[in-house]
Amino acid sequence: MYYPFETQVAPLTTVRRRRMLPAPGTVGVRIGDQVEPPQVIAHAELPGDFRIVPVARLLDIPASRVNRYIRVKPGDDVQEGQVIAKRGRLFASTVTSPFDGMVTASGGGRILIEAHPTAFDLRAHMYGTVSNVLQQHGQYYGVVIETPGAVVQGAWSAGEESFGVLKCLAETPNDLLEAEAIDPASHGTILVGGRGLSDAALERARQLQVRGIVVGGLSPELVPQAEQLPFPIIVTEGIGVVPMSGPIFHLLMKNDGREASVNGHMQTRWGIMRPEVIIPMPADTVPPAERQPGAPLGIGARVRLVRTPHAGKVGTVVALPVHARRIETGIRVHGAEVDVGQEAPIFAPLANVEVLR
Amino acid sequence: MAEEQPIGSILLVDCGTVMTKATLLEQVAGQYRLVARGEAPTTVEYPWSDIAAGIRHAVDHISASTGRRFFEPSGDLIIPELRGQQGIDAFAATVSASQPLQVVLAGLVRDLSVSSAERAAAGTYSTIKAILANDGRDGGQSEGASVHTIHDAAPDVICIAGGVEGGAAEPVLSLVEAATLASSLIEQSTRPRLLFAGNSRLRQRVVQMVGKRAELSVADNVRPTRTEENLLSARAELDQLYVQEKLERLPGFEAVSKWSAVAPKPTARAFGQLVQYLWRLGDSSKGILGIDVGAASTTVAAVFDGRLFTTIRGDLGVTFGGERMIQEHGAETVTRWLPEPVSADETRGMLINKVIRPTSIPQDVRELWLDQALAREAIRTTLELARPGWEPGAAQPYPHLLPLCDTIVVGGSVLAHTPRPGQAALTVLDALEPIGVTTLVLDTHGLAPALGIVAEVKPLAAVEVLDSGAFVNLATVVAPVGHARRGETILRVHATYGEGKFSVEIGYGDLEVLPLPPGQQAVLELRPLHNFDVGLGGPGKAGKLRVNGGLAGLIIDARGRPLHIPGNTEQRQSQMQQWLWDVGG
Repeated sequence: MYYPFETQVAPLTTVRRRRMLPAPGTVGVRIGDQVEPPQVIAHAELPGDFRIVPVARLLDIPASRVNRYIRVKPGDDVQEGQVIAKRGRLFASTVTSPFDGMVTASGGGRILIEAHPTAFDLRAHMYGTVSNVLQQHGQYYGVVIETPGAVVQGAWSAGEESFGVLKCLAETPNDLLEAEAIDPASHGTILVGGRGLSDAALERARQLQVRGIVVGGLSPELVPQAEQLPFPIIVTEGIGVVPMSGPIFHLLMKNDGREASVNGHMQTRWGIMRPEVIIPMPADTVPPAERQPGAPLGIGARVRLVRTPHAGKVGTVVALPVHARRIETGIRVHGAEVDVGQEAPIFAPLANVEVLR
Repeated sequence: MAEEQPIGSILLVDCGTVMTKATLLEQVAGQYRLVARGEAPTTVEYPWSDIAAGIRHAVDHISASTGRRFFEPSGDLIIPELRGQQGIDAFAATVSASQPLQVVLAGLVRDLSVSSAERAAAGTYSTIKAILANDGRDGGQSEGASVHTIHDAAPDVICIAGGVEGGAAEPVLSLVEAATLASSLIEQSTRPRLLFAGNSRLRQRVVQMVGKRAELSVADNVRPTRTEENLLSARAELDQLYVQEKLERLPGFEAVSKWSAVAPKPTARAFGQLVQYLWRLGDSSKGILGIDVGAASTTVAAVFDGRLFTTIRGDLGVTFGGERMIQEHGAETVTRWLPEPVSADETRGMLINKVIRPTSIPQDVRELWLDQALAREAIRTTLELARPGWEPGAAQPYPHLLPLCDTIVVGGSVLAHTPRPGQAALTVLDALEPIGVTTLVLDTHGLAPALGIVAEVKPLAAVEVLDSGAFVNLATVVAPVGHARRGETILRVHATYGEGKFSVEIGYGDLEVLPLPPGQQAVLELRPLHNFDVGLGGPGKAGKLRVNGGLAGLIIDARGRPLHIPGNTEQRQSQMQQWLWDVGG
């Protein structure tokens, strides 16, 4: 049995997402509340910056003599520019606080000033209903939001979170998104392209302040630019010019014009996070919960092939040969026969087959 | 006295970052044999979050081929073996699937104490998050900047070295103060520990200075004098910390520990143990090397005069670490080993795709070459870190070259699963540049770490499994050292094997492969010219020796040491292609 990597491409499911604070704080919603993407649902105070002020050095005196010149003590609030140490009268040397904050320690000729905590507002990021408030030992950590909707997981991303109306600018999964296709009406939308986009298209999208881009592939030359964009970009297949997988493209096309939440956070190890697009939808009945990953690969599974020369092709597993076979590089491996709609099925290494669930 | 239980079957498991490998050893006709093996993706991450799941998946493959049942319906391993092929008598596991220890190094001089501290950290799976050196290079750092650096790096441990024994106190103490201050500013639950491995005469003052502001442990000074290095104590402290903070916290680790009489060990430590064990079986006048190139880390284990030196790059393997390497050192670091032009952008794209899908394998020959190029650089980089810490003694006739090695054990999927053995051999030769006569041994089944544990608890089993072909000879390599004009004859080789014999003249610059398959032996008569040294006692010394064949045959690597790589891109690519052809790759 082989347990393959999986990617979620669900047209309608009950999407549940945890929205977590980076530190314990307060939660401003209750179970059952309806929330909207920009809504602040929780709040935390995060530790501020700190600065070690080398008072003795700045006053040009030994550390052992500095105490008599220091005008503040641990626990004191200080303002930016406030004199915290002074030596002399007429032509006095002074040391001032670099920012608003609190003196938290002094010693060895130095003063430690910590800035006031910074406020962090956690937004809902998606339409939905609060299904749980997460707390432990009396401290609040976040909430769970639930909505009927579609989910598409990406392969690579840059940027953070965003939401907006999906605007499909490709007619086929193989279309390249060009600058000319991005008109002023794209402002504030999430653009959906095909196999990739041009350098000019990326720049045009930035100028028109789109809220996100979803494409099949991204040329490696554009990666540094994509990493600097003020909005998230999600790549569904991988780096390179790769047509968007059919099921993903059709799902996004079908939802052209709907509002969607885009999450560009990605972590490849030690707590994997994958980028995703969530499209909330009205549903008369509660759709089934998201299918949990972790099933062995079987005949009939819908899979995507992930490595060159077949990267991005989607098909159905029609056989799992018992014996290893030789592949393009010359190595013999166990694999799956995948019907991708060509004359004959493609034999792909099990390691290069990914289930679309 | 309790009677020792006979062990008829052993299940060995290695949980790597990407793949988990399982191997079944059984006593067959009184001798331990490798019976079956299985492999499955490691399951540290969601949705499994349990390393035991990956072990079960890998063992499922063994069950399918042997009919043996290993697990209770509850998921626990059946130990000891029951009648009717159920369970096993012993289980041992090695693990490298955890996150490396995050370390900040602080010391006085970058090339002395900091460099020694770096080697101490490389004794375990670690990532160096930041280096603070007080030697004024790059302008040095103010205390405030140092505290910020440590704070931002959020390490698990701050290792402070510096100060020869009895040397200056103030610069070391100011590092300790910065580290303590930074540590105390980090929230209690994630607060880094301090390890002081500097001037031991300052220990008392350091203990007082740190007080209760941070957790402190001390180790012997890693650089007691300008020329002396003493890493043992600091390495042990860091390794223990890695095991406690990372390995034992892996989800599922506790359950797996219960299956085993010996606690699961870090893979690299067990790998080193095996290499040390193999040294005892070989020519003790030379050294022995072990190279294990994983998806996320690279290990070089060297043994000279019985002493083991293990060096791990916990942040550089053939899947993870490549992108950062090309960002820091340029894509040409990797692309210089490719026989075809591949742009820097394309290289970066391929590296990102590998990270996105770490379990996938190359299907395109260019991607395969990229993997092998990354393996070369991962080995070279790790070797660079390791070599200053070695004490090879008489095994090192040329200080700037690799010491003489009797055997080089080579492991890791990128080398064990090459389509053609010549590719694995060439990767190792390019990366290590061995000299003299060396046997390359391939750990095709990824057994070396687990056998390291077996060698510790049941040495006979390890010997028998090794004898039964767990490892295969990749090649015997003859690498002459000296200088001549390209093409000039530098070595005459006369080989006698079975009923056959042949003679060949080797020109300087040649990479010659002579057919000598595994299992076949040959007597080689080596006659170097122009004072070349083939490791038979010095420059110009000739001699005869018996060598074993290998998958890639007998390789005469007369390309020169150090290896010259053409600077011109087209010439270099054509040279790489030629070398690949030469070794049948």
